[in-house]
Amino acid sequence: MTEKQSIISTRRSKLTLEAVMSAAFLLCGLAAVVSVLFISVYMVASGGPVIAKVGILKFLLGRVWNPGNGQFGILPMILSSIFATAGAILIALPTGVLVAVFLSKLAPGKLPGALRALIDLLAGIPSVVYGLLGAILLAPLIFKLQTWAGLPQSGSLLAAISVLSIMILPTIITVSETALRAVPKQYEDAALALGSTRLQCIFRVTIPAAKSGIAAGMALGVGRAVGEAMAVTMVAGNAAILPELLKPVRLLTTSIPLEWAYSSGLHREALYGIGLVLFVFIMIINAALSAILKKGGAHNA
Amino acid sequence: MKKVSMKKAVGILLALLSVAVVFAGCGADTNGSTDATSGTAAAALSGDVKTGGSTSVEKVMLALIYQFQADNQQVTIGYDQNGSGDGIKNTISGLYEIGHSSRALKTDGTEDGLDATAYAIDGIAIVVHKSNTVANLTKEQVNGIYTGSITNWKEVGGADALITVVTREEGSGTRSAFAEIVGFAEADIPAGATTQASTGEVQTAVAANQNAIGYLSFSDVDTSKVNTVQYEGTAISTTALKDGSYQLKREFFLLTKSGAELSPAAQAFKDFVLSEAGQKIVSEKSLLPIK
Repeated sequence: MTEKQSIISTRRSKLTLEAVMSAAFLLCGLAAVVSVLFISVYMVASGGPVIAKVGILKFLLGRVWNPGNGQFGILPMILSSIFATAGAILIALPTGVLVAVFLSKLAPGKLPGALRALIDLLAGIPSVVYGLLGAILLAPLIFKLQTWAGLPQSGSLLAAISVLSIMILPTIITVSETALRAVPKQYEDAALALGSTRLQCIFRVTIPAAKSGIAAGMALGVGRAVGEAMAVTMVAGNAAILPELLKPVRLLTTSIPLEWAYSSGLHREALYGIGLVLFVFIMIINAALSAILKKGGAHNA
Repeated sequence: MKKVSMKKAVGILLALLSVAVVFAGCGADTNGSTDATSGTAAAALSGDVKTGGSTSVEKVMLALIYQFQADNQQVTIGYDQNGSGDGIKNTISGLYEIGHSSRALKTDGTEDGLDATAYAIDGIAIVVHKSNTVANLTKEQVNGIYTGSITNWKEVGGADALITVVTREEGSGTRSAFAEIVGFAEADIPAGATTQASTGEVQTAVAANQNAIGYLSFSDVDTSKVNTVQYEGTAISTTALKDGSYQLKREFFLLTKSGAELSPAAQAFKDFVLSEAGQKIVSEKSLLPIK
């Protein structure tokens, strides 16, 4: 140990390490990009041909899904997915925002911490458990409603909406709460100083100021609802008919695992086609999300 | 400082390496037939046997193939799962030496020139909720329920309640066999019928809904969850399936070209399926052996 060793080591070894590490990071970064590119290309390549074969209008706007008869209309599934998602948002957004307001502004003492832990738990429950609870607890109630309405007892759009709305609630609450907390205190102080009540201040000042964050929470919720398959397939009845609240529905997501096992030929390709449509749906939602965030960012700056 | 960062780099490299190992592990196929103890006796047999067809026979056929390949390590039995239709077509054309079918051959001349050898019987049970009082359904009644002309249980002697029709998904072999035997087109199943993707899910759906009716493989029926309904006055049972009095059943067939001689390996496989050991596997997969 006669040679004195520099604590910052030699220039050469530093440079080598630097190069190796930056290559490693580049590799990791590329892994994400390459997977997305690969998935996109794969989805278009395997889902595109069937849409061309069936005809894009016939595929997207056809009302009858009957692969055995060569009928590949997925309009019932597209509409069911939209209705189920919209219904879930309709329930979960107001509820979620109010819970977020309570957590960030109104809850006393240690209550917010405890509630937040429970909400995180809600977010971590596997979707199959939601489906199970929906099938066991919710379905019998909806059966009664269906009998009362003169319909056969079955899975339903209502059941799908209910399960989805509970599933997306944690996302909406968490993102909304963060947005509400980020509203500068001066805004609220000013409103209160001008004589507004606590609630007036929240609804007229805080929520409007946090609206882009809340919208982002909504978009994330929509993304989760559109993509959910497991819980829905357990409660929705899976009939490919135009959606009605108390009748069974089949969503885009559920169609794929439902028929995958025994499908072959054009039928199998059509399931890829449904996957492609779903993929486009999610891309639109993501684009909307990033537009919202961009707009929100520009607004705050 | 240098030491620490080298450690980190090594750590990261190790992490990357372990990821690579995991991925590589996914690629390696362990097909369970590496047990070499029984290889010597049948060492004479070798070669590839191309087979294909029905997906409904998958469970039992894969079990038979794995056992046969374990016993005869030089033989590979291929199995394309593409439906009975393709199995029949490709056996006629000679692409498959053995075809798989879960339905009988048509007698209209389009499927001539094949020998169909039945090796298992699969009964299809009609099931309803435990509380349902309907004990028997005729062929016409089942037909009416599954084509939407009968919608209330009171029309078939039950309570005044709308029937919830539970069916299998498009493409299911059970579904096509059921439709064929009861005599309706699959396209006539009401579009609003509850659709479930597996035998177990049909059973669960029927067990949870007092007005539901469904159908599934007899071997999978759990009578603690659902009631089976008599079909045409006969209750489903192994004896009723064996003596032919219960009509809702289908046989699983091995198809071979009439008059053509099979390769030794293919012949040995066919013999194995019908042997005591093969038939034991058939009954282990909850099917009725043919012998």
